[in-house]
Amino acid sequence: MKNLTNKYTVGAIASIPFFLLTGIFMIWPALTIVFKTFITEEGLRFDSIGRAITGTYQDSFWLSIQLSFVSAVIGGIAGLYLALLVGRLKPTSRIRILTQSWSAVASQMGGVPLAFAFLSLLGTQGLLTRILNDLGLNIMDAGFSLSSFWGWVVVYCYFQIPLMFLIVSPAMSAMKPAWLEGATSLGASTAVYWRRIGFPILSPVLLTGLLLLFVNSFSAYATVYALSSGAGQLVPLQIRFILQGNVITGQADLGYALVTVSMALLLVAMVSITLLQRKFARWADK
Amino acid sequence: MNLKKLIFNAIAVSFAAMLMAYFFFPLLTMGRFAFQVTPVIFLTWDNLLADWNFDSLVRGFTNPRVHQSAAITAGLTVLTIAITFVALLPIAIYAETMAPKLKPIISAITLLPWIVPPVALVVGVAATFRPLAPWFLNNPLSLSFFYAVWMLPFTYRAIEGQLRMIDVRTLMEAAQSLGASWFKFAFAIVLPNLRNALAVSSLLIIAAVTGEYTFAALMLKQSFPVYLIDLQSEDVRAGYALSLAVIFLTALLLTYVSLRLNKRGQTIKMIGV
Repeated sequence: MKNLTNKYTVGAIASIPFFLLTGIFMIWPALTIVFKTFITEEGLRFDSIGRAITGTYQDSFWLSIQLSFVSAVIGGIAGLYLALLVGRLKPTSRIRILTQSWSAVASQMGGVPLAFAFLSLLGTQGLLTRILNDLGLNIMDAGFSLSSFWGWVVVYCYFQIPLMFLIVSPAMSAMKPAWLEGATSLGASTAVYWRRIGFPILSPVLLTGLLLLFVNSFSAYATVYALSSGAGQLVPLQIRFILQGNVITGQADLGYALVTVSMALLLVAMVSITLLQRKFARWADK
Repeated sequence: MNLKKLIFNAIAVSFAAMLMAYFFFPLLTMGRFAFQVTPVIFLTWDNLLADWNFDSLVRGFTNPRVHQSAAITAGLTVLTIAITFVALLPIAIYAETMAPKLKPIISAITLLPWIVPPVALVVGVAATFRPLAPWFLNNPLSLSFFYAVWMLPFTYRAIEGQLRMIDVRTLMEAAQSLGASWFKFAFAIVLPNLRNALAVSSLLIIAAVTGEYTFAALMLKQSFPVYLIDLQSEDVRAGYALSLAVIFLTALLLTYVSLRLNKRGQTIKMIGV
């Protein structure tokens, strides 16, 4: 009995710092936003949500979703292929280790330094822009600009590809070579093996990866902000705009509503990820 | 059959080459811009190797405002690491040894930072802290609490993974049968065994805090990444040179640590899910 009381005392003391930290610095502010979205001085209202998902703001959400989706799919495919190629190397291979640690760095890049790196390459005064121009190809005339949608995609892939690589690599190495041997000894070609065995097994991980890439780029905005001199119409930039008071007063609830809708969107993505993770864990543990 | 293999290999090689170019050319041109004074329009094959110097880097490193902002970021990093360990270690060890039922709850809470992006949190902070405790937000070091929360998806998983590996339950039974209290057990036995996880967590925090721009900028704090942007408008080259130096140092640090971990058969888990 003494042991039991002791257990709860220890538990309380050990848990307090964690719940204080997350409660005060994440849950309280987040819930306050949701609360303030619906409960205004005039009582329970839903119209700010309505404004947040119509008109210009609907366009912003659409643009953010498109950018996140396109960069997740392109980055996801390239990252998957890279993982396939690197997965063929021995675990102790130098190239493999270097690819892994470089991916760890590049997946965390973003924001202004990344934007500037690409501006020095492909901006109006970029070196590659100049070289291509000398070769007779003006990329500006061809419709490419770093401050356009496809320009953003090119830059976003810089952190999306290595992120996907880091997500799928462990799962690739968890696939046993014996499976391929077994399949081929039963008469399957490599293509059939991938279609019937490899891909179905990997699919939860692949979906997790794509969703995580989506979430990752949905929240990022510093890169686009620097590439487009603050003119990008992404959702986080709109929120920032309202936050800095650049919008007619009395629209604070619009800011809250935009945040609430974004969080709802990200929540759906994260819940799907955890469900998929569980599905993957079931066979990975066996 | 052989032709098919040849085509596959050709695709693989050209893909790898394209990827290498994609990842390193932006850094190279960034380096050229920082360290070669010639503007792009005047660049020809003849003067490609002329006028290279590291003046911009020296200017960056000797700028007193760079020192000030770097001091803030260093303080933020140390505090973030301290807060992370104080908040995370006790509950992680407790859940692993005595209350496994708590683990899914902790796991779910540590995923919340994926759902509340920096911009959203700034809105929330403005609606909660600003009216109640403006003095708290006035101090630039207050950011460290938010940084500690943001890194939870990564730090919690690093620590939880290691705890599972060292089989703490058996260790606890042994320690208790020898008469150690739970706290003594946690400090004297578990902590030393968590060295790797603590090193990895600290490293991830260093990498994240030295690059975090959004939150600090919106909270109007002059941390190092925020000042870098200001610097870019005053002295473009110095800004580029410092950005490049930060990327390079982070890459070096991460490579070193992952090589060391690799020798022990471990990897850094960069994905916080």
